[in-house]
Amino acid sequence: MMLRDTPGYNWLDYGWRLFGTGLSFACFGLGGVLLSLTLFPLIRLVSRDRDTTRRRIQRAMQYTFRVFLWQMTTLGVISYEVSGRERMAGRGQLIVANHPSLIDVVLLIALLPEVDCIVKQALWRNPFLRWPVAWADYIPNSGSAEELVASAAANLRSGRSLIVFPEGTRSVPGQPLNMQRGAARIALAAAAQLVPVTIVCQPLMLAKTQPWYHIPPSRGHWRLVVGEPLPAAQFTGAGIPEALAARHLTQFLVEYFSRSVTAVTQQGANAAASLTPNCTMP
Amino acid sequence: MDSKEEIHERLKQVLVELFEIDPAKIKPEANLYQDLGIDSIDAIDLLLRLKELTGKKIQPETFKHVRTVADVTDAIHALGLSDAAIGS
Repeated sequence: MMLRDTPGYNWLDYGWRLFGTGLSFACFGLGGVLLSLTLFPLIRLVSRDRDTTRRRIQRAMQYTFRVFLWQMTTLGVISYEVSGRERMAGRGQLIVANHPSLIDVVLLIALLPEVDCIVKQALWRNPFLRWPVAWADYIPNSGSAEELVASAAANLRSGRSLIVFPEGTRSVPGQPLNMQRGAARIALAAAAQLVPVTIVCQPLMLAKTQPWYHIPPSRGHWRLVVGEPLPAAQFTGAGIPEALAARHLTQFLVEYFSRSVTAVTQQGANAAASLTPNCTMP
Repeated sequence: MDSKEEIHERLKQVLVELFEIDPAKIKPEANLYQDLGIDSIDAIDLLLRLKELTGKKIQPETFKHVRTVADVTDAIHALGLSDAAIGS
């Protein structure tokens, strides 16, 4: 089917959103470089210790991402809604989300004044962004998996919250969810509360197989539905090896998200109510 | 005393107990990572469990080259547990 035959297609709207998406990406890249040379070093300079720097840089990241989202929504390129946000307010929580799109982490950081995330190797080699991510004390995804789990768990226990995408990379559209066990290992090592965030984008945009300029026939709309927190300790018990608990917890997350993604896709934000009791522990 | 077959049977029990791996999948030629879904952190847990059972330590360097169930069996066998029957 040709794009112009799609119901609701309007070439002017399409062209504007294509332009707006490109402009947003350019601003994101350019803004990142600019802030890495101005605001972020300034914060570093006026903060007396590592912890103050981290908190202020993380807060600055939140505002930066909010401005970016404001730009994209104002241009009419995307829209989004969040329900159950207050559930993410606790300390030392492991925020686990499915990962349909490129901007999932932007949406989550924009909602949270202080949160850690795991940053891939490439960013630590980026000449501009390596400093802000280090000052934010984000966790590098390098070295051994064992070290990553240990440092993430230590931060959680000290009261810092962490965002993890258990899939490890963006979801492949149309494929069943495939989650690695690292998130479960971190949650179990820290005996943390898990806060599941279901992210659905309709029509799908900025997905794994889509370059940025493959925009949908109408504006992409993101729904973030925060579920009821559950303690990782529910999966542990006498005589259960941690490796096994990690498998059970990961299996639970795969089932939870498979169900919740379907529920949110079909019922929209109304799914929040129905999702909570049905999707907590069996 | 400890033939490779006995070590294999004992290893099978450990893999089931630690990871709930389907015993039917645990064949000597099965790849730990691809066929049995063990990840790098699981491998560390497996090493620790084997150490508890055998009282001897398989060097992590040795384990890096381990790919299949038979490789683990051979590594345990190579520790020379001729009279200390593992896990008994």
